[in-house]
Amino acid sequence: MSDLDPSAVTAPATPGDPAAVASEVRCPSCGEVVVPGDQFCEGCGASLVGGADHGAPAAEGDARTAQVQPAARPADGAAAPASSAAARPCPACGGAIADDGYCEVCGAPAVSERDHFSEQPAPWVAAVCDKGIRHHRNEDAVALSADPAPGSFAALVVCDGVSSSVDSDLASLSAARAARDVLSGPRPDGGVAGRLTAWSARITDAAAAANEQAVGVNAVESASASTPTAEVEILSPPSCTFVAAVVDGPVIVVGSVGDSRAYWLGDAGAAVALTQDDSWAADQIGRGVPRSVAEADSKAHAITRWLGADSPDATPTIVSWQPDGPGWLLVCSDGLWNYCSEAADLAALLHSFAPHGADPVELAGSLVAWANEQGGQDNITVALARVDGPAPATGDATGAATAIPTGAAPGTQP
Amino acid sequence: MAEFKAEVFQNEYLADGGTDVHAVVSVTCSGAGAAGSSGDAAEIIIVDISTSMGVDKMNAARQGAMVAVDQINDGVWFGIIAGNERAVNIYPGRAAMVRMDPSTRAAAKQAIAGLRTSGGTAIGTWLHLASATFDQVPSATQRHAILLTDGQNQSETPEAFAAAIAAAEGRFQCDCRGVGADWQVAELRSIATALLGTVDLIARPEDLAADFEALMRDAMSRGVASAALRLWTPQGSNILFVRQVAPTLEELTGRRTEINPLTGDYPTGSWGDESRDYHVAVRVAPKPIGSEQLAARVSLVVGADVMSAGLVKAIWSDDATLTTRINAAVAHFTGQAELADAIQEGLAAKAAGDDATATTKLGRAVQLAAETGDEDATAKLRKVVDIDDPDTGTVRLKRQVDKLDEMALDTASTKTTRVKR
Repeated sequence: MSDLDPSAVTAPATPGDPAAVASEVRCPSCGEVVVPGDQFCEGCGASLVGGADHGAPAAEGDARTAQVQPAARPADGAAAPASSAAARPCPACGGAIADDGYCEVCGAPAVSERDHFSEQPAPWVAAVCDKGIRHHRNEDAVALSADPAPGSFAALVVCDGVSSSVDSDLASLSAARAARDVLSGPRPDGGVAGRLTAWSARITDAAAAANEQAVGVNAVESASASTPTAEVEILSPPSCTFVAAVVDGPVIVVGSVGDSRAYWLGDAGAAVALTQDDSWAADQIGRGVPRSVAEADSKAHAITRWLGADSPDATPTIVSWQPDGPGWLLVCSDGLWNYCSEAADLAALLHSFAPHGADPVELAGSLVAWANEQGGQDNITVALARVDGPAPATGDATGAATAIPTGAAPGTQP
Repeated sequence: MAEFKAEVFQNEYLADGGTDVHAVVSVTCSGAGAAGSSGDAAEIIIVDISTSMGVDKMNAARQGAMVAVDQINDGVWFGIIAGNERAVNIYPGRAAMVRMDPSTRAAAKQAIAGLRTSGGTAIGTWLHLASATFDQVPSATQRHAILLTDGQNQSETPEAFAAAIAAAEGRFQCDCRGVGADWQVAELRSIATALLGTVDLIARPEDLAADFEALMRDAMSRGVASAALRLWTPQGSNILFVRQVAPTLEELTGRRTEINPLTGDYPTGSWGDESRDYHVAVRVAPKPIGSEQLAARVSLVVGADVMSAGLVKAIWSDDATLTTRINAAVAHFTGQAELADAIQEGLAAKAAGDDATATTKLGRAVQLAAETGDEDATAKLRKVVDIDDPDTGTVRLKRQVDKLDEMALDTASTKTTRVKR
């Protein structure tokens, strides 16, 4: 029985403190300290929302050994606390869900918490993460932290697991959380320029921590010794994309690897894509191939950089942005931008859902629902932070995205 | 304490509109213990004493029966039946059994030494007497017999024979051996299939003793008296088939005992420390791309205890690289089942004089044996056909075929090889 009060899980951290570490909230299943606002325990994967589902489906792949109690996969959102008798009935037929995670009558899988979840660490910052329609598993992940005062501090991390790699859903979730934890450490002080440099380094560290998680996920589970040798193929190690956006007062700093994106969607005017995809199509466009030609190719979405064991380069590309008016910072996976890629179109779409003073959770939910209406071909993640206006000018506010040199040749980014 | 482990091998991905889910379930038993570990065990040795046995075979049969008696552990109930056109319990006499100990062992061997040939063959009567004899020891939950014959079942009608087999089903397990070339593989196979046992050819009488010794030693190592394969399938689905595919092929589909409308048990008999594979095929209603569904739960049941479980899944996907793969174990055993059918149909056609069909079927068998790496089957096929090209299955029937080679091919057709791991 979960003795965790759900309201305690979503309570914001003490004002002024970085999120998480001082909290006394613990996982009811394994006892690990958990971050308020988290929906899943990072240690054992148990759902932290009251009335947890039970039953972990046995590991996927061609060969599985199932004892009578199949082992839970971490972060699957369904490691049953033994006494959780309040299992939800089967969503398809209303029958009882068995211990193995499937309905006893119709065989439909228990709905995993991971299939659709949201986070809202503060009233002005939220995210919704959804499985979409065509994929049977949600390999997208998001992790947020924020201070309660609007516009003061927020970290938004989105990681999209690469479907063709094994256990990428485990990789994306642990990567996103590791990055968020690095970004939630003590904040740099000083002037804007100093803080931009400090955040650039911090985001690079966050990407490294995320990469370490992705590399560490055990991909051997599905290629076990019992797989007939004729069946063994080279299974790709788990991989995911990475985008982390930090709001620190008047500045926004973003780092990315792969094709998950961050946008600035100002209330009046500026609608800008802050990141550039590491993708085949983006490479082609960079060489002068027309956008329509590049994006129509079947290889268009192949990503050229990612996090994971066989990653060629996990150093994030860093950009900064200083808004000159109120607007929304949007961080999303390709499950959304595949249906609405241009910043101006995305701004129009968002504004169509956003009356003045909109709640970011509802807004993110509307965008996710819209993407599902377009077909839901992929997992969809939408993270939003409301930034209401620039802080008093402190010198070099530019209102334009500028690349912070990261040691690569300057001028390679717009 | 016996432990069972179940592993599922399958490709769970179905294309849009796909309905059929195939899986190979590999079940391994360990720690079974000796016969009698889970209740009393009982053994009966049934020996053909019809006139056709003759001097050599009868000598070998006596020796084999004595060697088998030596393998039976002390404390196990046992009896000896001599059979011709009727059956007689020659030890301990009447339709009864005694526990093995040094004195009963010696007395049994003396009774065996006194066997003499006479009369014809009506195997059905032997099965009836065996059932009645086992019934005298209700405490014996593990019941097994070895049956030896040398000839055809001439002294009773096929209907009586079939009725006797049906009456014995579920009452004891029986391993059948035919010595020489005059018996009918199909007759002994029908007993072995119904009574969850094996059938094999003993080509030369001098090999009989060793075979019986091995058979009884194996029986003594089976500490789990009786286990069942339990299959749950979801509402609205059909079970296409359930068959054991390793170490031998056995069709189990029709032997389902209903537990509840969604669950049924299939008998698997007694277990020692061993591994067996089962091929299960279920048809479910298709669901939209991205959906997942459990197609079957497969478990091993001993008495009231569920010992192990495996999940057979269906996931609908539009990714052709996932949906077009065939799991290696499923492909292998599908091929092995087709191989067994091809051999049996080919031999039946040959026996009926239909050389054209026999050539086609045995050619297909050669092709499948090559594809599935079944060298044993290839070697046995070579004794019956000349192989021109194994890849295309081009063969010619041999003019002179030793009947024993044909029977060896037939009896071995249900033995399967395993997927190399």
